[in-house]
Amino acid sequence: MSEALFFQEMTEEQKYEQFMKRINAGEKIEADDWMPEDYRMTLIKLISMHGISEIMGALPEKEWVPKAPSLKRKLGIMAKVQDEMGHGQLLLRVAEDLMKPLGKTREDIMQDLFSGRLKFHNVFHMEAPTWGDAGLIGWLVDGAAIITQTNMLNASYGPYARALKRICAEEVFHAQHGEAIIMALAEGTEEQNAMVQDAVNRWWEALLMFFGPGDASTTGTSKQDTTIKYRIRTKTNEDLRQDFFTKYIPRVLSLGLKLPDETMHFDQDQELWVYRQPDWNKFKDIIKNNGPKSQERLGLRRTAYETNKWVREALNTAN
Amino acid sequence: MGNEGFYQEFEVFSQRTDTSPLQYQFSLLAPNREIALVMAQENFMRREPAADIWVVKRSDIRKLTPEEKQSLQRLDNKDYRTTKGYGYLKKKWRHYEQEMLDEKEILSWGGMKKGD
Amino acid sequence: MTEPVSKMPIDAKVKPALTSLLYQLADDDFILAYRGSEWLGLAPHIEEDVAFSSISQDTMGHAAMFYQLLEDLGEGNVDSLAHARKAAERRNAVLLEVVNGPGHYLSSAQYDWAFAVVRNYFYIQAKKIRLDSLKNSLYQPLAEVALKVNMELYYHLLHWKTWFIQLMQAGGEARTRMEAAIRKVLADFEGVITLGPLAKDMAEHGLIEPEDVLKQRWLLTMKPVFESINLAVSEADLAMKNGNGRIGEHTADLDAALTTLSEVYNINPAASW
Repeated sequence: MSEALFFQEMTEEQKYEQFMKRINAGEKIEADDWMPEDYRMTLIKLISMHGISEIMGALPEKEWVPKAPSLKRKLGIMAKVQDEMGHGQLLLRVAEDLMKPLGKTREDIMQDLFSGRLKFHNVFHMEAPTWGDAGLIGWLVDGAAIITQTNMLNASYGPYARALKRICAEEVFHAQHGEAIIMALAEGTEEQNAMVQDAVNRWWEALLMFFGPGDASTTGTSKQDTTIKYRIRTKTNEDLRQDFFTKYIPRVLSLGLKLPDETMHFDQDQELWVYRQPDWNKFKDIIKNNGPKSQERLGLRRTAYETNKWVREALNTAN
Repeated sequence: MGNEGFYQEFEVFSQRTDTSPLQYQFSLLAPNREIALVMAQENFMRREPAADIWVVKRSDIRKLTPEEKQSLQRLDNKDYRTTKGYGYLKKKWRHYEQEMLDEKEILSWGGMKKGD
Repeated sequence: MTEPVSKMPIDAKVKPALTSLLYQLADDDFILAYRGSEWLGLAPHIEEDVAFSSISQDTMGHAAMFYQLLEDLGEGNVDSLAHARKAAERRNAVLLEVVNGPGHYLSSAQYDWAFAVVRNYFYIQAKKIRLDSLKNSLYQPLAEVALKVNMELYYHLLHWKTWFIQLMQAGGEARTRMEAAIRKVLADFEGVITLGPLAKDMAEHGLIEPEDVLKQRWLLTMKPVFESINLAVSEADLAMKNGNGRIGEHTADLDAALTTLSEVYNINPAASW
């Protein structure tokens, strides 16, 4: 802080230089701090998508909340889906503060979701037709989410890092909640075993897609270089996918489950998991809201939002 | 939506126990402070105890601007404000065969019983 | 686990009234928590979704405690009590089983927030009064559970009362919707208040106070609230329009709810889930 130069006297280049120096030194950027437009826009895109994915992510599991097979499971899944909404709340607050200088609010986020401008994660467009899916989402989808979210715990943007810290602490409960459901099914009747295996088969491709394409050559665009440059994350999509394999494949196999990819193996020389690529064209299509459940879930969200509009209007100017 | 609107920003603070300091939790959106208050605990303290909760409308908070944060800087020449500047007394008291009354010693007196 | 049953020998004369009361308490909370769980993700705003879900979880937790008391009395295990009983065996008030609004919870839900606020507020206040009375129940295990459950009701009441007052005071469309919801709730509120055909036995055996005492207490507690928002409610407004759940009369809404909530359980009731 020996710089005598006052901030308002700096040129844009000097501000940018100082900003990069700060984040490279591990300093945190706060909502009111100066930041490059590119940084702000990257964060808004990333965090609003992350936040709205949590909100939309409550829906595939929502089906199983009233249907959970015991009082204990009913309570557990209610708490879990509640947390998803809670994570959405935390993340949207972070995104909303970033959007404030652009004159945008939560209302705009919701409208962007409905119009398709704001995307949500590929996994939440998929079907969850059995109780096995409810368990699998908690175990592996949340497992994948833990891998990507812990990778950003040291994000240069302070409010995001703080929200992620809260979120990751709760994800530990989610992972165990999912494991408990899966374990009971894996140790249960043949019918219950089959439920888990079917769910693994159904979700495998979506799980691979969850981490995003390896590089821009696959889908045309990739934001991963920008987010690494700005120290929002450290690892690439492929690094994260490999981490996921390393953590979860031994566990999946230990329960007697089979992976729906017979080519899958660990290559000792390259020290990499070798696997069959998912269909990335399908991925692009899914996140454009053309997945099996995209329209139904957007419809539910939109209907609920519209139906409750009178409540927001009634308290619009109260106090 | 009007300039007030349903989505107003509130900052949430809580106290974990009666004796702990007030701690910042997070922000939430609510149409007014009554609703903000009933949202606060379940949104941010579902898994921890709370002895009290404060909600503060963000627009009522005056924060430092990034430029003003420069006013927080100060020189490291204020030993005279802290015990660090009086450490030499320890040796002096030893000369009089007395223990120095340091922070640890003085703060332990609160729990002292009569006759200790 | 609760106290071993042997410690508390139950007089054969008391048992029918006691189990009847416990079924009402358990089934009321269970079905309302179920309706609350359908709301998850669909509340007027995200913060409220999180808060409401905590209340639904608490309420289902209370149901589990009451079912546990029934299990201790040899009525079957808690999960079969919650999942396997047919509509005619259920003793919840009809008001609490009624759907949240038109549409299915997965696709076209157009749930009525005014109905949610009024149903929950009026019910929680009645539950609070009932549990305050149960704190003095001569059946000790029930008195102990009442003491615990009571702790969580302060927040539930604060939460629903806040929404109730604010939406009533908002005027306009909100007031119209709220008044319609109040009429709908009162038309079946007698079904919440009543303790069923064994109410007299319950009082005689010191399990709970007479139902009319509880009813007057509810009216008395609500009176200043109603007055503060210029709402006229009289005892005569309380009715049992859609049947008496305490004798097993229920609506088709309950049948549909039971099919949903036991769908997985019924795949194999003996399996561990």
